[in-house]
Amino acid sequence: MTPILEIKKLYKSFGGLLALNNISFNINRGEIIGLVGPNGAGKTTLFNCVAGIERPTEGQILFANRGRTISISGKKPEAVTALGIARTFQNIRLFDNLTVVDNVKIGRHCRTRSLFFGAVIRNKFQQAEEKEIAESANQFLEFAGLKGRGEEIASSMPYGDQRRLEIARALATEPCLLMLDEPAAGMNPQESRDLMDLIRRIRNKGITVLLIEHDMKVVMGVCERVVVINHGEWLAEGEPQDVQNNPKVIEAYLGTGAAGAA
Amino acid sequence: MGNLKLQNLTRGAKIRIGLLILTLILPFFPFVTDYMLHIAILIFLYMILALGLNIVPGFNGLLDLGYVGFYGIGAYTSGLLTYHFGLSYWVIIPLAFINGAFWGILLGAPTLRLTGDYFAIVTFGFSELVVLFLTNEIWLTRGPLGLPGIDVVSIDLTLFGGPKWEFVGELPYYYLAIVMVLVTVFVMYRIQDSRLGRAWFAIRDDEVAAVSCGINLLGYKVIAFAISAAFGAVGGSFFARWVTFLSPDMFKFWESFLILCMIVLGGMGNIWGVMIGALVLVSLSEVLRELLPLLGLPVGVRFLAFGLIMVLMMRYRPAGMMPIPAVAAKMRAGRVKRKKVKATVSMKQ
Repeated sequence: MTPILEIKKLYKSFGGLLALNNISFNINRGEIIGLVGPNGAGKTTLFNCVAGIERPTEGQILFANRGRTISISGKKPEAVTALGIARTFQNIRLFDNLTVVDNVKIGRHCRTRSLFFGAVIRNKFQQAEEKEIAESANQFLEFAGLKGRGEEIASSMPYGDQRRLEIARALATEPCLLMLDEPAAGMNPQESRDLMDLIRRIRNKGITVLLIEHDMKVVMGVCERVVVINHGEWLAEGEPQDVQNNPKVIEAYLGTGAAGAA
Repeated sequence: MGNLKLQNLTRGAKIRIGLLILTLILPFFPFVTDYMLHIAILIFLYMILALGLNIVPGFNGLLDLGYVGFYGIGAYTSGLLTYHFGLSYWVIIPLAFINGAFWGILLGAPTLRLTGDYFAIVTFGFSELVVLFLTNEIWLTRGPLGLPGIDVVSIDLTLFGGPKWEFVGELPYYYLAIVMVLVTVFVMYRIQDSRLGRAWFAIRDDEVAAVSCGINLLGYKVIAFAISAAFGAVGGSFFARWVTFLSPDMFKFWESFLILCMIVLGGMGNIWGVMIGALVLVSLSEVLRELLPLLGLPVGVRFLAFGLIMVLMMRYRPAGMMPIPAVAAKMRAGRVKRKKVKATVSMKQ
């Protein structure tokens, strides 16, 4: 398997705080990989660096897509999305005042082109594009299990559905790599199971999934490989079972002494 | 398309067509005076301006306090091109549109990186700059003397052997203004329901999520600002050819504030709300102008009345008279958080 994303010696500091300290790991094409670590370990910072929202202080992020490998560290977030990396947010960030289907349509933005004159004149090109946007938006909604709910206002949906909508919107950008930031947070067991099923279906479409998650049932249930970071440093990597039994990981989560007791 | 049978129309569409017909036949009612037509034209003019401004705070969530600068640029573009070159108004409309957009890009491209109030202050400065320029560059604008004797609008068919028809009185302007409002509304509706409009709404609701969907913030804000400025300039071009006299003090900051009030009062981001805001505030202004002297108060007191209205609106209906559908739905559900609604007018001058 070839890596789709290579993170090489990544550093990120906020003033005196070193949020990421020499992080290196690869993500292979087509896998579901989990990124875990205690609170404040730097998981979301790492996400933001890959997504272009934060600029890494040092280090490289290489993204392989369509046979080319490009460095995306320091690229603007909209450029990263256009290259094929989509994400969701830890605290859901939907377009609250818009309908569900409009949220997904906005996800189609970077794959479409019409602007002011297209909007006003509605030429053939724009009409065809709008039709494609509407059709694919509905497909993505259906895929995420939100069929027939397109006209609801996004912020009035239940929490679990908002998470699904965020995933549908991310999928609408046609990514090769989808990054989910705590998708199961606040979900009940049934919703978590549905989510795991959704993640597997996303992978079966050929999309690589990188997942930050605290819910160990989800991590163990769906991830094929797990990377653990703590205090901004790489700690362990491997199959979920091995990582779970790794004394260093247990120590990071439960403190010294716990490793011996376990 | 072409299916325009009356029974197929929704209630909303019937109301709209009814209102349009009423507006079209209004001048033929016996009680309608020239003064009333004048006010009606003023309302239409402010509808165009408010719809144009609405793009920036209503669609993009940015506070713009300098809109009148573009209005002034459009008015002087129109006035000077008529005064010096005698251009026809039909040529001037696109030129004013382009000139407005040009200045919008020129101002917006470097400053739209600023957020919130900082951007508002820049726009405020710009509008003051426009007034100072118009006042002091006497070689071009005749300064405080004003620009008198601008030709009225005319339909000139002499090139094709037809007649030349000049717009005399208020009636032709009344219909011209209606056409311009209709075109503006048409453009706004089309934008609202397009990729461009959705990108703007995305920026308004959540900038971080918007960039994650691949939207270039600066680019789309500049487009918004340019289109908004262009409509302001078109409004100005009409104003110049209608009142046939321009002077710099017509484009004071007060105008920007008034147009912003219309948007907030009507419902930011809602095309119909914005038009109703223009209707209410312009007519209220006229009513107060008549009423206040009878009460023994100076006419300037009406500004206080506007302030009071805005305070009451912010307290009891912060989303305006006709909020955008989502906000209206949330208000019905009783879940609207007062603070979450963007109350941009709390920005005092």
